[in-house]
This record gives sequence, C-alpha cells and structure tokens, in this order.
Amino acid sequence: MTAARRFLTKRRVLLFCYIALAPVLALFLYVRVIPIGFGVWLSFHKWNLLSPAKPFVGLLNYQLLMEDENFHLALWNTTLYSFSTVILSTAIALPLAVFLARRSRLSAFYQTIYFLPVITPMVPVSIAWKWIYDYNYGILNYGLGLLGIKSVAWLSDPDTALWALVIMGVWKVLGYNMVLFLVGIRNIPAMYLEAASLDGANAWQRFWRVTFPLLRPILLYVLVTSTINAYNVFTQVYVMTLGSQAAPGQAVRMLVFDIYTNGFQFFRFGYAAAEAVTLTLIVLGLTVIQFSLARNDPTREK
Amino acid sequence: MTQPAFGRRQAMTLAAGAGLAAVARDAQAQAVTLSAWTGYPELVPFYNAAGEAYAKLNPGFKLTVFSTSLREHEQKLAAAMPTGTGPDLFDVGQILSINLIEAGLIPANPPAVDAQLKASYRPASVDQFSISGKSYGLPMLFSTPVLFWNRAMFKEAGLPGAPETFGEMMDYAKKLVRFDSTGKMTRSGMSLRLSGQGSGITEKWRFVLEPAGGSVIKRHPSGKYSQNYDNAAGRAALQYYIDAVQVHKVDDPRVQRDAAAFVAGNTGMLFREAWVIGEIQKQNPSLDFDVAQIPAWTAGQPKKTLLQHNGLYVSGKSRNQAAAFAFMQFLTNPENSAMLTQTSGWVAARKDVDWTGLVSRIPQYKGFVAPPADMQYYLEPVLGPWNEIQTRIADQLPAAFVDPTLNGNPTKVGETIKRWAAQTDALLKEAGLFGTA
Repeated sequence: MTAARRFLTKRRVLLFCYIALAPVLALFLYVRVIPIGFGVWLSFHKWNLLSPAKPFVGLLNYQLLMEDENFHLALWNTTLYSFSTVILSTAIALPLAVFLARRSRLSAFYQTIYFLPVITPMVPVSIAWKWIYDYNYGILNYGLGLLGIKSVAWLSDPDTALWALVIMGVWKVLGYNMVLFLVGIRNIPAMYLEAASLDGANAWQRFWRVTFPLLRPILLYVLVTSTINAYNVFTQVYVMTLGSQAAPGQAVRMLVFDIYTNGFQFFRFGYAAAEAVTLTLIVLGLTVIQFSLARNDPTREK
Repeated sequence: MTQPAFGRRQAMTLAAGAGLAAVARDAQAQAVTLSAWTGYPELVPFYNAAGEAYAKLNPGFKLTVFSTSLREHEQKLAAAMPTGTGPDLFDVGQILSINLIEAGLIPANPPAVDAQLKASYRPASVDQFSISGKSYGLPMLFSTPVLFWNRAMFKEAGLPGAPETFGEMMDYAKKLVRFDSTGKMTRSGMSLRLSGQGSGITEKWRFVLEPAGGSVIKRHPSGKYSQNYDNAAGRAALQYYIDAVQVHKVDDPRVQRDAAAFVAGNTGMLFREAWVIGEIQKQNPSLDFDVAQIPAWTAGQPKKTLLQHNGLYVSGKSRNQAAAFAFMQFLTNPENSAMLTQTSGWVAARKDVDWTGLVSRIPQYKGFVAPPADMQYYLEPVLGPWNEIQTRIADQLPAAFVDPTLNGNPTKVGETIKRWAAQTDALLKEAGLFGTA
C-alpha cells in the first residue's frame, strides 16, 4: 500500500469516526455545553426571570457572592457534608467489599441489601428518613430509648441536623461504592495474592500491599464521583426543611439549595448562575486535586 | 319565460346555510377551553364544581385544573408566564403577583371586572389589588390568622377563656404545657413557628411583632420604605419567642407543631387561618376548640391581625382573555364564594356573601367571616422584594429562638435585630425602594 493510499484510508476512517460521533456530540453540545455556556453568560448579568431588563453587570454577581453570608454558610455546610459523606462512605464500603468478596452463600443477598438504597428514589427516601429522625415518633429514637439513651432531636436541633443528613447520605451511597470496590477486588488476578501468600504475607499485608494499591483507580473513581454527588446534594435538604416539622433551614443550607432559593424563589437567575459557576469550579478543583493525589506515580513503584 | 338566476328554493337554501354557518360560528366562539392553575390542592373541587356550573350556562366551555403545592405552583408560574406556556387563569398570593404585574405579564382589569372589584370588596382589598390607578385581578380568598385554643385543655387547666394579652397568653401556656416523667415535652402550651425554612417563619413572627407595635417594613410619606423592627417592638417580639422556648419552656422545636399539633390535640394554642377548621372537621371532628382574636400586646392596646389576600388573575399571554375574565367573575360571585369556603375551609374575600348557613353549622367560622369591629388589620406589602425580605429574616429566626447566648442578654438581642434590619434595608435599597422621609 502506498503512503498516499494509506493516508487516504486513514482520512476515511477518521471521517467515518467523526460522522458516527456527530449525533452524540451534537446532543452533548445541546444538553451540556450550551446550557453550561449560557449559565456562565447569565452569571455576568442581572438576570431576573420576570424582569424584561437584564443588564450586563460584569463580575458584580461574583463580588456580591463573596460578601453573601448565606453563600459562606452554604459552602461550609456543603464542604463539611461532602467530606464527611465521602470519607465515611468510602471507609465503610471498602472493608465491606473485602468482606463480601469472599465467596459465600449470603454474599449476593448482602450485596442486594446494601445496594437497595442506591436504586430507591430520593424523595420517598428523604420522607422516610424524616420520619425515622422524628423526635417523638421516630424509630431511631425508639431504638435509642431501648438502649437507655435519651431521645435526640436529629432534625430540629441545629447542632445535629447536618449530621443527620450525613448519616442518610452515607446510607444512600454506601452500596454504590461497595459494588465498585467489589468489582475492583474481583478483577485482581488471584496469582498476585497467591504469590504474596507464598512470600509469607498475612491477610492485612496482602490487602495493604497488593489489593489496595491495585484498587487505586477504583478508589479514584469512587472519590471523584462521590465528591461530585455530595456537592450537588439538594433533594434531601429540600424535603427535610419543608414544613413546620422540619430542620432549621440555615443548619442544613447547602450550595445547590442556595442556588435554588436565589433562582426559583427570588428569581435572581444571574446571581444563582454565578453561584452555580463557582460550585462547578470548586468541584473541578477538588477533582483535579484528587486526580493528582491518586494517580499512579511510576517513580514510586520500584 | 326565463328562469330567474336565483329561485325561491335556492334563496331559502342559501339562507338556511348562512344561518347554520352563523350558529356554527357562535358555537365555535363559545367552545373555549380554559386552563386554571392553583397552588391550593384543596381548591380543586371548588374549581371543578364552578367549571361544571359555568359549562351548563355556557355550552362549549371546558375547564382544566392543575394543582401542585404552593411553592411549586409559584415556581411553575414564574417559569411559564414569561414564555407564554402558563395557564389562562390562576390564583396566587400577592408575594408573586406583584412581580408578574411589574413584568407586564398580568393585564389590568377590563371595566366590568374593575367595577366588580370596587363594588363587591372591602376598601382594603380594593387598595391591595390596585396599582397606580389600575386594578389587577380579583381577591379570591382571605387569610386572616386568629388564635385557635383548645377548650378542653383550658377547662382542665382552669383557664377562663382565650387570653386577652400576649402576657396572659404566656401565663396560660405555662399552665397548658405538659411533660413526661423524663422531662420531655409531650404537649406544648402554644405552638409557634420555630423551625423549617421560608418566608412563613417571618410571617408568623409578625403575628407577635405587629401587636407589639412594630412591622417588618414601614412606608414613608415619600412612598419609600425602610425596616421598622430595629426598635423596642422588634426586640420584644424576638424576646417573646426566646422566653417561650428557653425561659418558660412552653414550646419546643422538637415537639409536634403547627396545625398538625393542634388538630391532634398536642398543643393548647395556635395562630392560624380558617383552613385549620376544615382540617379539624376532616381529621378530628370531636376536638373541642374555639377561635379568638390574636391577643393585644398589653391590656388596652389594639388587637391586630394580618390580612393577606390570594388573588385570581388572568394571564397576559392567554389567547382566551375575554372568556377568562368572564369566568373569573363567575368564580367570585356570592354563591361560588360561599361554595369556596364550604368546600375548602378558606374564607372567600367578597364582602356580600351570606354566611348565615355556614356559621350556624360551624360557629367557629364567625371569628373569620364576622370579626369584631375593633379588629385592626395590617396588610401584606405589595412589593417585588417582599418575599426575599421575609425569607432572609426567616433564615435567621429559628437559630435565634434556640440560641442560649440570646437568653437574658438584651444587648445581644438588640445587636441581632440590628443586623437583620440592616439586611432588610439593603434589599430595599437594591430595589430602589429605600427611604426614610
């Protein structure tokens, strides 16, 4: 085959790839890139949903955001919620996965049990948890009472409301993280562990020296997706602060909830867009940090 | 003899055809489907019944009703109205309608509707629905909170009747509250709005603030506004809540609250609107209760309550505006107004409704439909940023009610109020509404 012919064939293959990808790319552009771009554009305007005048205000929305106490509170609460949920759910999911990776008759049953919360829709789950946490009639306080522990106002106490959401968040995401780790563990070739055993490694050493390093890509994926999901927490906050029997709004104010309030209650879409862009940048920054911390460093693998 | 170009038969056929066409045209003109949106699901039976009655009078008329929770309803309207995908007719509080009017999305009333507003409603309602000499929409229902009190509990505690002052109310609450052997509150003496989020928390705080002599904002002669609670009244209103929760322990954010608590017999007193009567009828008809005016701050001072309207409006982008306005007038006639209250529990806003039947059946309604003449009303300011002003205060209130550092610390209470008030003024400034002269 001549060079010119090879070049033509390569171009045809490339052309085919672009044509095949075009519909998906167009859809991605339409439902992702354009809305994000529009959001960024909105953030430079005083864009009231109902007002016909939508003047360009430059960075004013960002400047106001930096002075907004609600934004600071929401950022702090969201960060606390996210770090707690991600760390706890990962720390619990990993040993669970190791345990369930052993072939046993009940393994599938437990996997199903742990995975059930993941597939249950968030609104009914949040309502159920609101009742579980109820000070007077909640099953959690009933259980604590049987152990002689005083009832806790899980939601209505500003000191415990956020942690109540963390507990629910961990419960919801635990099964997902566990399944990912489980897949990772089961994909580790058995010969590595056998070799370690032959070299005299005990169970902990096999996990720490073989399993855990090989799970690093999975761990990175779990950390990144969990962090993104945690920073986007909204539904449970909305449900659990709704009504008079609810958590105090400020105690569980989160970024997406604050964006929602500014956008859909006060109709300040420009301001809400600035907040959304800031949230995106924060999550993006955290993801980059996670990638740089968890990526494979060949110089260390000697 | 030649035949005429048009014989008698042809002429009659043509005339009959023209007649049929005219009838068909009329029928087509009357065949209209209106869409109505409401944020009160309990109003759906009322809308449907009125729609059916109207269809009998106007063949070809059809009404479709869509209902969601109040907050979702407001959001859907805000998103749908500017794009012309909203309903022909909708009910909404003035907290949102003012924004829609300012954006030109609600048209001014035609002369017939304007005349109905001026003839059939109280001056306060006419004033609330008029802006710069034009009227917009019609008042649909009133929301006037009163004091619900549990007669059986009062009797058990040896209390003579509803409290006359806020001081008395606190004393009565101390006698009504109950605790179990572990010290856990099992029944609150009074149920204040202590938790959650949203403007409703401030709205309920105003039930105390206004009788104490303050208000969230004050209108000045220049037509501008400024905050009016960084003063003795504002501090007293906040202190009242702190005392109720932290000092006298007659209420607690952890116990069952609000209408649910009153209906279940888990609180002695509650400030709420007429719809609670409907809830009691449905869920606990044997509850022994009565309603009274919200107490005066101190003896001899006026008794005050909030007069809040929910209005009916026609969309400026409706293609059936004339039909929608006509149906709006029908919906608010005296007969349908009485039906509204009977089916939903909410009190219709018209002044010429005959309430005799309703009051003889459910005497507690008297407190709403025939309030005492000395009752003073304060109104909901019809301002664009009002929702945000109330919500921003509401963000702060629940934490303040339970903040132990505010208990017995009037200086800190004053500083707290000052901080909130500054935010209120800032929002007014941003909207170009701030002024003190």
